[in-house]
Amino acid sequence: MYALKVNDIEFGYDRELVLKGISFNIEKGKFISIIGPNGSGKSTLLKTLNNLYKPTKGNIFIEGNEISSLKGKDLAKRIALVPQNTNIDYDFTVEDIVLMGRHPYKGRFQKENQNDYSIIDESLKMTNTLHLKDRPITEISGGERQRVIIAKALAQRPTIILLDEPTSHLDINHQIDILNLLKNLNKEKGTTIILVIHDINLAARYSDEIILLNDGVVLGIGKPEEVITTTNVETAYNLNVVIDRNKYTNSLYLTPVEIKKRIPKKQTETVHIICGGGTGAEVINRLYDEGFNLTLGVLNVGDSDWQHGKSLMIPMVEEAPFTGISEKTYNKNSEKVKAADIIVISSIPFSRGNLKNLISGYEGLKSGKKVFFIWDYPDENFDYTDGKATKLINEMKQTGMKVVKSVEDLVRSIKECT
Amino acid sequence: MRKKINKNRYGFILFLLSMLLILSVGVFSTIGTANISVIDTFKIVGSKIPIIKNYIDISYIEKSYETIIWSIRLPRVFLGILVGASLSMAGAAFQGMFKNPMADPYVIGISSGAALGATIAIIIKADVSFLNMSTISLFAFIGALVSVMAVYNIARIKNRVPITTLLLSGIAVGQFLTAIMSFLMVIYNKDMTKIIYWTLGSLSGKGWEPLLKIFLPTIISMILINFFSRDLNIMLTGEESAQSLGVEVEKTKVYILLLGTFMTSMAVSVSGIIGFVGLIIPHIVRLILGPDHRILLPASALIGGIFMIFTDTIARTIISPVEIPVGIITAIFGGPFFIYLLRTKKKSI
Repeated sequence: MYALKVNDIEFGYDRELVLKGISFNIEKGKFISIIGPNGSGKSTLLKTLNNLYKPTKGNIFIEGNEISSLKGKDLAKRIALVPQNTNIDYDFTVEDIVLMGRHPYKGRFQKENQNDYSIIDESLKMTNTLHLKDRPITEISGGERQRVIIAKALAQRPTIILLDEPTSHLDINHQIDILNLLKNLNKEKGTTIILVIHDINLAARYSDEIILLNDGVVLGIGKPEEVITTTNVETAYNLNVVIDRNKYTNSLYLTPVEIKKRIPKKQTETVHIICGGGTGAEVINRLYDEGFNLTLGVLNVGDSDWQHGKSLMIPMVEEAPFTGISEKTYNKNSEKVKAADIIVISSIPFSRGNLKNLISGYEGLKSGKKVFFIWDYPDENFDYTDGKATKLINEMKQTGMKVVKSVEDLVRSIKECT
Repeated sequence: MRKKINKNRYGFILFLLSMLLILSVGVFSTIGTANISVIDTFKIVGSKIPIIKNYIDISYIEKSYETIIWSIRLPRVFLGILVGASLSMAGAAFQGMFKNPMADPYVIGISSGAALGATIAIIIKADVSFLNMSTISLFAFIGALVSVMAVYNIARIKNRVPITTLLLSGIAVGQFLTAIMSFLMVIYNKDMTKIIYWTLGSLSGKGWEPLLKIFLPTIISMILINFFSRDLNIMLTGEESAQSLGVEVEKTKVYILLLGTFMTSMAVSVSGIIGFVGLIIPHIVRLILGPDHRILLPASALIGGIFMIFTDTIARTIISPVEIPVGIITAIFGGPFFIYLLRTKKKSI
């Protein structure tokens, strides 16, 4: 049985629909993030899951029960909500607040008993807020308050906890703190966690599954790798992004590059960029945004420029990881050079392994191509070829290679000569 | 910052306040033009209670004193307690429900609605009785209910009732109803004195009869409203949170609105409009005892009762033998306090 089954729901505030036919199932014990741009219906969806809003069409089932058939208190025993705004203006003590979480279990004339108090103590311990027990809720920090509200949710003993942007008002350390706490609850108690979150990277890092909403429909649902793709993100957020893996957490990592242009520029020229080790990142992005057809080479598989090229789906000449350029790939690269109108060389250090890249550039120059060298080395140490590279570069300069100081200069120079 | 108050001490606090209330009854009934001692007052009261009266000797007390205490001052004091208690308790409940420090029966239009209802009852000399309520009470209740519903619905923006719109619509509706009332007074000028005196608010010269009429309905609604104190507490933390905890927010609001309006219009129908009690008392109690409605509601009622008979004593003694309508005294205390609130709570508005 699914923890939550959402069946083609529609909901709108006035005449316009905010949720336009949403369906998905959530298995028990999953950690789910709902992401999507502002106005995509994330918070609205979360509120329908808690019966705060009643869908105009479709049904929602909580552990097999139709949500609208459950009484308020019975629903509160199954689902707890941590709202976006946890501000409380009245100086209840932390204990009072958490005790409110026992309300679903209490009749109007019933008093809280020892069992309730031990449950709230347990909830306070689990959220590491026991020491705040007697403090007024108005006097603790935002991060602490968020934990207390989660403790209150735990006191409800729910199987599902819904959270509406639990990290949005917090410092980065508290964000991680809260998400780790939720992950622990999810792992240890098997509580299904469903949260709305703005930060896609955090969502990718913590979630088992992600639901991407856009304009009231589900654009993608599944594992982070399946949902967070350049196409999906570009469609939903109208933003060009680079997606790779974070070195430290090995989770997907998304970097926004530039707001997608309304009318994409389109240039006829093809630029071949000789780069590597991350030195090409800036020029790749810039020329990509300018709308040039790009090719890259030669890049070792796994190199950061290689990853960058992959994520932008640029054709590349690839070489096996950590090996020098073979004759075969050198030839392939020469073909790309021939096919290009302009060749750009980034400030890569040269060694025996990649000297052939420089030679390819030289050949292009000799055959009459425009060649630009972005001279942006941090110091003199770039030549590990006993002077061969320097000699080659000097020859190239004499043959007409243009040296520019920055990517900005490069773009200007290219525009001048085209 | 207020000290944390242990929940186990709620009972003790209420006991203390009750004792204080009883003492106040004794003290404030003795103060007046006729000089009667506190002991004598208690003796006179005791002599009216079966069984106890056999042990009390009041033969040395003047008969006229007995009349003054028993027929004039005591009903007046008890009425004062009932009026003060219901206005304060309704104020406390409304402030909690609207999450709004400015909500009191006066500000949100109950009083002007009740006043108009009562005026109409006086003018048309209607004589309908319902549940032992006098015609004026009934009309006052209907007027108050219509008025508060209007204010609430005008102020509401989607599901929220922001303070600015609440105050504005309260003022607008209140002024409108008061204007109608004034218009009626001009036309039916032979009833004018009665209406004017009524709108100024006074506890004088009522005797036991009106008190007995409103006693039971008021006490019952006061007890009932206490059953919602936990729901009110949870609603203070946000309506959506409350709903997600299984509190039936909209229903609770309607119950509280009905009960609060009912108890205030009961009070107002007898005493006339007495402003500010429902605003100041809950605030003071909240400052001292905290926001928990389980203590806030009953303590507001008790302190409200004490405050009311205190101000009424001032009203009837300060320029004795002339008596000032008590509404003027509460307004003298309440006006500056209201301004103080506006200044200090500016941020939350």
